[in-house]
Amino acid sequence: MDLLLQSLVNGLIQSGFFALAAVGLVLIFGVMGVVNFAHGELVMAGAYTVWYLHAQIGLPYPVTIMAALAICTGIGLLMEQFLFKPTRDDPLGGLICSIGVLFILQVAATLLGGDGPSKQVPPPYEGTMILFDTLRIPYQRVFSLVVSVAALAVLWYFLTRSRFGWALRAVSLDREAASLQGIDSNRISLIAIGVGAGLAGLAGALMAPLTNINPHMGHNVIITAFIVTIVGGVGSLSGAVIAAVLYALFHTFVSTYFSGTIATIGGLLIMVVVLILRPTGIMGRRVSE
Amino acid sequence: MALLEVRSLTKRFGGLTALDGVSFIVEEGGIHGLIGPNGAGKSTLFKNISGFYRPTSGDIMFRGRSIVGSSPARISAAGIVRTFQETTLFDELSVFDNVLVGTHKSAASNVFSALFGLDRDVQAEARAEAHAVLAFMGLGDRQSQLAGELPLGSQRALAMAIALASRPRLMLMDEPFAGMNPEETSRMMTLTRKIRESGVTIVLVEHDMKAVMGLCDTLTVLNFGTLLAEGTPEQISRHPDVIAAYLGGVAAE
Amino acid sequence: MAASRLVKGLLLAMMLAALMVLPHFLKYHHQDFLIFLTINVLVVVSYRLVTLTGEWSLIHAVMMGVGAYTSALLTKHLGISFWISLPLSGIVAAAIAAVLCFPLFRMTQFYFLIGSFAAGEAIRLCWIHFIQPFGGTGGISGLAVPELGSIDFFEPIPYFYLVLVVVTLSLIVLYRIETSRIGLTLHAVHWKAPLAESVGVNTWNYRSLAFVIGSFFVGLAGTLKVHYLGTVTPNQFDISLMVFILIWVIVGGYRTFYGAIIGAVVLSVLDEAIRDLDVLRPAIYGALLIASIRFLPSGLESIPQRIIARFRCDSRTEPMP
Repeated sequence: MDLLLQSLVNGLIQSGFFALAAVGLVLIFGVMGVVNFAHGELVMAGAYTVWYLHAQIGLPYPVTIMAALAICTGIGLLMEQFLFKPTRDDPLGGLICSIGVLFILQVAATLLGGDGPSKQVPPPYEGTMILFDTLRIPYQRVFSLVVSVAALAVLWYFLTRSRFGWALRAVSLDREAASLQGIDSNRISLIAIGVGAGLAGLAGALMAPLTNINPHMGHNVIITAFIVTIVGGVGSLSGAVIAAVLYALFHTFVSTYFSGTIATIGGLLIMVVVLILRPTGIMGRRVSE
Repeated sequence: MALLEVRSLTKRFGGLTALDGVSFIVEEGGIHGLIGPNGAGKSTLFKNISGFYRPTSGDIMFRGRSIVGSSPARISAAGIVRTFQETTLFDELSVFDNVLVGTHKSAASNVFSALFGLDRDVQAEARAEAHAVLAFMGLGDRQSQLAGELPLGSQRALAMAIALASRPRLMLMDEPFAGMNPEETSRMMTLTRKIRESGVTIVLVEHDMKAVMGLCDTLTVLNFGTLLAEGTPEQISRHPDVIAAYLGGVAAE
Repeated sequence: MAASRLVKGLLLAMMLAALMVLPHFLKYHHQDFLIFLTINVLVVVSYRLVTLTGEWSLIHAVMMGVGAYTSALLTKHLGISFWISLPLSGIVAAAIAAVLCFPLFRMTQFYFLIGSFAAGEAIRLCWIHFIQPFGGTGGISGLAVPELGSIDFFEPIPYFYLVLVVVTLSLIVLYRIETSRIGLTLHAVHWKAPLAESVGVNTWNYRSLAFVIGSFFVGLAGTLKVHYLGTVTPNQFDISLMVFILIWVIVGGYRTFYGAIIGAVVLSVLDEAIRDLDVLRPAIYGALLIASIRFLPSGLESIPQRIIARFRCDSRTEPMP
């Protein structure tokens, strides 16, 4: 029972990262129609930024989180300007360009930190809180969950209350109609990828003290992001969040009782089933073809 | 027995009723027109008949057998072919290859035949048929051109050639005269009559009233997804409901 | 034209002859490279067949592994001879592909891409997780070389001839399929599937056919590869191989049969040439991919095509009607 409860809690905390990464991916795909295969590497870039600036140089952790946000947002904007915008009519071309970025970022990480054993960032917030005499929750994890939820709340507010948010949703529903209404869809795409990449960078920065940092860490991130995105619904942000929570719980449980690999296989199979039965996921819209 | 019988066909898209209990009959031989104002449901009706949409309710009988729910490929096998509203061709293939694809029903190959040339005669027959259809449609001298490079009139003729090559009994033509000048229109009308002479029944959706009145033996008029009137062109042109629907467009021709 | 076919045939025969003589002039290490290059050509041409219908799958690299693991298991654990396990590996890959058709081909475009990626990754993870019988991350090693009389297939040159024969035969089959009625129908499905359906083409059947046949041949390629290396591991068939295949097809061009071959050859040679740059290599491929999409979208194959078109233009006195 204790193991169950502990797994539940761990899963919920994991869901924060999954949600941040998946929401970023959905935003980019929803608004720009491009599958950003480099999304995992954006998370990795965030983690590396924190590792370099905090663990190596010694800047305060919150500062490095901001730096990670800024750098990843910057990379996203560059990608939009030079890769996605020119290939707007060719989504497959955009996808392939993102694969190119994937490789470039991986090499950049290797050059920065070498290809040796994974790096560790000592958690800036030490200590563990103990609930109900049995649940152990390190403060670092609490911090990451709180920040994730806060970021998602800010995003929700931005999307539902601000002018840009409204425009983002309009473009994701119908690009042509939106531009007929006077929305500059290129500017909106910039905002979408800026936010999406920024969220990825934030996820990476939050993950940095909690995981192994190496140039290939993006691989698992992208798989998780795809699973969550598809199951939650390709166009739906709230679906992505819900699916993130559910999948994180699922993955944590299966990892605890079986193994991480089995958990991922299970996740992939669920994704394939969803793709067959209801490609638009739990909450997605019908995608017309 | 009628060639095609549409019985109480209804098609709903969410809250929108595109077709509401439409019933009519198409007899074999001849050219039948399907007209009506924009949005009357004509193309939707075609798509239901040719299997791209599945009707919400109602039935479609072709040569006495229900074809509702069949896939487009199976409906084609039954003998119905449809030309598309926007000129749809295999742009990157040659004119000849375009028509050759049309002969698929009679000349599809399996892997072993393809590898070892076992069905050479079948393929030769298909090629001869493609040549014949091209000549019939007046495209013989354009055989090696890329379909995408043809002028509009030839493209439409090619679309009809592809459809013809599949040896249909019923051809559904979706606005073949759209965007044509008078010269192209009259050439197209000649071709359409030629197809009729070769034994294919034609149902034609069209807005160009000159073509419709000149070609069709019978007309069915749709409005707002329901049947408005049926009859010969002369009857229809004098029908008060039809005149009202078109606001005088038909009577003026 | 009979003359151009004769010329083409002669050119091909010359190339084959040159290929047969070439290894004797190469160093050991480059002989290795030649073997892998030839195998890559089969991989890429079989992939091109799959993409002929317009659906880009991300499972091709894993299907190569399916063939490889099949042969490894058959030869090592069941003692079956290589000459039987080779075609069997292709058949098993084709069979698994056939089964996967049912879930995968209900998806299109983007969903098919992601779905094929997921299915491939799931298979690969099974190789990693189920140590019995797949051997986990270490895979299966100690794979035997084929035996035929006194020929020592452990040596690169004999093995190269084996690979050359298998690949050449495979390419002939693939070429015949592409230029046959089936190939025409596949092109039709690619360009305008609804139009093809309206004349009776069952597009699901054709997409599946291309996928199954492509998987058969890449399964063969997988077997050829691992029996030379002696080991099969899950990481040999991961996303980086899939990306390589994509790069070959995209940079080389997929409009023609030979475009992908050009891509595979040029990029494999390039890979060899920058081997010393080690760490930077993936970044160079990344940059190449991007440059290819942005600046030469029709691929390298468009270069000879443009040259030929220039020739034709010069010999014309009238413009085309």
